[in-house]
Amino acid sequence: MSTLTLLASGDEFKAPGLELFEFPPIINGVPWFTKPVLVAILSTVIVLIFTWSAFAKPKLVPRGMQNLGEMGYTFVRDQVARPFLGKDADRWMGLLLSLFFLIWIWNLMGVIPGIQFPVVSHIAFPFVLAISIYILKLYLGFKHQGFFGYFKNMMFPPGLPKPIYLLLAPIEFLSNMIVAPFTHAVRLFANMFAGHIILAFFSLVGFWFLFENLTPLGAPLGVLGVLMTIGMTVFEMFIQFLQAFLFAMLAAMYIGNSLHPEH
Amino acid sequence: MSEQKRRPEDDGRDFANAAWSIPSYVLSGIIVYGGIGWLLSRWTGVVAFTPIGLILGVVLSVYLVYRKYGR
Repeated sequence: MSTLTLLASGDEFKAPGLELFEFPPIINGVPWFTKPVLVAILSTVIVLIFTWSAFAKPKLVPRGMQNLGEMGYTFVRDQVARPFLGKDADRWMGLLLSLFFLIWIWNLMGVIPGIQFPVVSHIAFPFVLAISIYILKLYLGFKHQGFFGYFKNMMFPPGLPKPIYLLLAPIEFLSNMIVAPFTHAVRLFANMFAGHIILAFFSLVGFWFLFENLTPLGAPLGVLGVLMTIGMTVFEMFIQFLQAFLFAMLAAMYIGNSLHPEH
Repeated sequence: MSEQKRRPEDDGRDFANAAWSIPSYVLSGIIVYGGIGWLLSRWTGVVAFTPIGLILGVVLSVYLVYRKYGR
């Protein structure tokens, strides 16, 4: 049942739930092509156009789009790449910058009027990104430290008393091989998922108590709902940026640890 | 930590490494030792093994983080 039919049928307020994330196929007979997929493709095109117009014909004195693009580039390089990759930073900027911009635009779609759907609140999207980074991390680790060297450096970091290794190696293994990529994806997914529900909830409160069911007692609640929607939208935009940054930062961290084992 | 010369930017890297590894380590510790404790409980019928395993997992993972990044 969709939210609208609930609004029409009952006269009690019903908080939005998981139906926010269910979409019918846009084209009949193509079940995978739903709104999230469309928004994901659209955002990818936006990122492509943006980076193309910013970096295709660079000028010595940046203007317009190039200015904006270079601001993003400098931010990702100084805050994401360099702290973790050091002198390798420039080699990985292409990947990290694309990751950062793509996820940020995907997230921003959650507050763009008319679209209002953060792509990564469907868990498949962050999982594909996290698994790609995971495969890259393993590949680089095997390449730079050797297959056994990689596991040795990971599970037996130097500087611990011998018997402790027996107890700690399983934790290291599980943490690096299974939990880390999992949390990498889930952190992004859960933030966007919860944010979307919060925004939908407060805007529905405003809509319900001010338009659908206007009563003297309910009206202040409706006003509160609208105010909260505005406040949470601003907060959400901050979270969207933060999560895009964190995802790229963790990717840089994993890559950095594969290139150079931790001491 | 080795004796080699440390560059200042390494400190930032270590700090971020530690900060973002802690949840992952603690979760792993709980899963590994809580899981072992749970299996022991099922095998022996002594219920106490599960909470003992869970707490041991937390303690060991915090100790691991401390030894790796704490100094």
